[in-house]
Amino acid sequence: MFHLALKNILFYKGRSIATLVLTFLSALFFIVYVSMMDGSHNAMLQNSLKIYTGAIEIYKKGYRDIGGNEYLLNDVQNITQKLDNIEGIKAYSSRYETYGLLSSKEQSTASMMVGIDPKKEQQLNVLSSALIEGKYLDGTNNNCLYSGVDLVSKLKVKLGDEIAFIGSASDNSFTADIFKLCGIFKTGLFEFDASSSFVNKNYFDTLMYTQNKASYITLKLEDINDASRINSDINSVLDKQYESLTWKTLMRSMVELLEVDSIFGYVSLSLFFVVIFFVIMIYGFINVSSRTKEFGVLRAIGLSRGNIRKLLLYEIFILSTFAILLATPIGTYITYYYSLNPIIIEGIAETYKQYGIVSDEMPFSFDIFTISWNVLVIYGLNFLSIIYPMIYINSFNPIEAMSHV
Amino acid sequence: MFKTILKLAYKNSFLRFSRTILVILMIAVSMSMMLSLQGLYDGMTLNMIESIKRSDSGEVSLYAKGYRLDPNIKNSILHAPTIANEIRQLEGVKSVTLRLSAEGLSSTARKSSFSNIYGIDLRSEEQFGEFSNFLKEGNITFAKRGTIMGVELAKTLKVKIGSKVIFSTQDSQGEINSMALRVRAIIQTANMALDGTALYIDKESLRKFLDVGADRATQIAIRADNEELCKALKANYPELDVLSFLELNPMMKQMEEVMVIFNGVTFFIVMLVVFMGILGVMYVSILDRIREFGIMLSIGMHYRYIRMQILLEALLVGLIGYLLGALLGVLILVYLKNNGIDLSAFADGLESFGMNTTIYGHIKLSYFIGTFVAIITASLLSVWLPLRRIKKLNPIEVIKANK
Repeated sequence: MFHLALKNILFYKGRSIATLVLTFLSALFFIVYVSMMDGSHNAMLQNSLKIYTGAIEIYKKGYRDIGGNEYLLNDVQNITQKLDNIEGIKAYSSRYETYGLLSSKEQSTASMMVGIDPKKEQQLNVLSSALIEGKYLDGTNNNCLYSGVDLVSKLKVKLGDEIAFIGSASDNSFTADIFKLCGIFKTGLFEFDASSSFVNKNYFDTLMYTQNKASYITLKLEDINDASRINSDINSVLDKQYESLTWKTLMRSMVELLEVDSIFGYVSLSLFFVVIFFVIMIYGFINVSSRTKEFGVLRAIGLSRGNIRKLLLYEIFILSTFAILLATPIGTYITYYYSLNPIIIEGIAETYKQYGIVSDEMPFSFDIFTISWNVLVIYGLNFLSIIYPMIYINSFNPIEAMSHV
Repeated sequence: MFKTILKLAYKNSFLRFSRTILVILMIAVSMSMMLSLQGLYDGMTLNMIESIKRSDSGEVSLYAKGYRLDPNIKNSILHAPTIANEIRQLEGVKSVTLRLSAEGLSSTARKSSFSNIYGIDLRSEEQFGEFSNFLKEGNITFAKRGTIMGVELAKTLKVKIGSKVIFSTQDSQGEINSMALRVRAIIQTANMALDGTALYIDKESLRKFLDVGADRATQIAIRADNEELCKALKANYPELDVLSFLELNPMMKQMEEVMVIFNGVTFFIVMLVVFMGILGVMYVSILDRIREFGIMLSIGMHYRYIRMQILLEALLVGLIGYLLGALLGVLILVYLKNNGIDLSAFADGLESFGMNTTIYGHIKLSYFIGTFVAIITASLLSVWLPLRRIKKLNPIEVIKANK
């Protein structure tokens, strides 16, 4: 039966070529499109994770939903000791986050002020390498301020200038201090660069009364794919008043937006597949209907309906396999190449900065599992396309088929 | 003769019923899907554009020179009410509104966030962009030191209707001032910048709070249907920054362009594949009847009548497919326009990026005209190859060969 199918494929060249070309193109298109879509989504998430948000963060329950000083972590040292015993955590650091008004001689603006451990933070994110002027916080217990470039521009200050801070301390008392601008950073995340300032946590703790306290602890993992496992390990050792959350929860808005974008992407793709499915089915149907007499003879010499089904399945199997064997390595190579050498679209970061796009680079995602299911979908569609021709041809009895005009 | 050929074309089109139905279905399904996607994507972009125009920029906005780079109250427009009155007299101007704004910090007892306070006149905003339609919760009023807050800012500050908020900023004299406000309404404009940071109060209250003169505004926004208005205003007010919607929102321009390219490429690829489908069926259908055409030629029928018959067959199949597709497309688009697609399951993500949770479709006549031209062209082109073959036929040989 297999040989007969092979002979039929070689004999009916028109149908074979059309099916091969369409299957090849749709498989290639599917692999490349999904890789591009996933790649740009991953890049957006990874950029956010690289800049500020941790892969996992630990909060006191209620801090994110209600907020306020009574929801600060009060026993940072004890919690971090527990973290040391969990495998897969690359680095961690506690942060104290507050909002206040920053004022220069001329201007005032609101800012997020964050007390950080500069050395630990260097292991966690790219904040230190985002420095464009001056110096990063050096860990000495001083009043140095490390601010975003757009915030600095709003305040109309330069390196070395004094900036007054007014806010409220962790005991809800009024607090104020004068900082010196030591460094300016630019991450590319517009909102972040326009609103954030960092200060040495040791120094900030004395001002805000936050010794051994923190808003949260942020973690970097050896492998981000282990986030769920490590998160449950952390939750199992934490007191019930604390919660550990992965980046999927922390960046829920972005994750949801990207899910919607993916849905629209797949809906657009489905349009191509529906059309291609129809064309493959039409070519299959034309081919089968023009061979009605031949099928009649095959039935008359003893082949069953099942044998005819098997013959048609072999035909579509050979054609699909051949096309997919060609498309998969090409598609895989394209995705691999562009995952290492991203496409650069000049100006895209500037235009879409409010959506968290910080780079003009658009890397592809290289994921064998995704490529495999893409290929299987095309396979499935090709097999579906032969069902109607199969039903059509098996609706004839041998005599009818042989006398069919 | 034409009547006979038309009859022949009709009968032959449905000679192989299943085959013809498959082609018609292919055209109809792909066309209706393509129309729906086009309408949905256009609707999404247009909704965003319309939201930004209604809630913020209008078709044209005027700022004091330098304000966009340094949004300081000192860089506000002088004699703003007079300018607004002059603009109202211009042709095509539908509505003008004045706004005063300042950046600052909004705080509750537990949370703080950056925000922009806007001093507005509710009546004028209603006329400008149907402000009350943005309401999500509460009542649109500034009574008793009331404020109206963007939905995302309300989420960040964890406030609800009746909550107290302190807004602090620098006034025109450089002094830090604070004011206590009560949240009276929460609005969703689908404008990311406003939903995330906006706090609205009465313009007069903000003017007093910031200590600025009654003739000042930071923005004059205009709704108009005159495309030349921006150019005219640029000439009339060289001392101001006159910016069109697209100049203020280059991202929207790029989004529109990307959408046009995306829709164009999709259209081309789909039509190419549809063309392949029609070509396959027409080619086989003609080859099946090559002997019949040989006989027709040999009994004296002119080639042009055969060509007409084949062209009519292709047209008929294409046209039926188109009509069915257009009907399906209209039904889907009308549904999408009236009911939209409910994406409230992704509300957090969509709202925080300034999008509505229900996405409505858009219907344009050009969708149907473009598709009609493409399908009819594809149908006619699909018979070009088979016709060439018939033209080269030697009737005697064909009749013999296919006996």
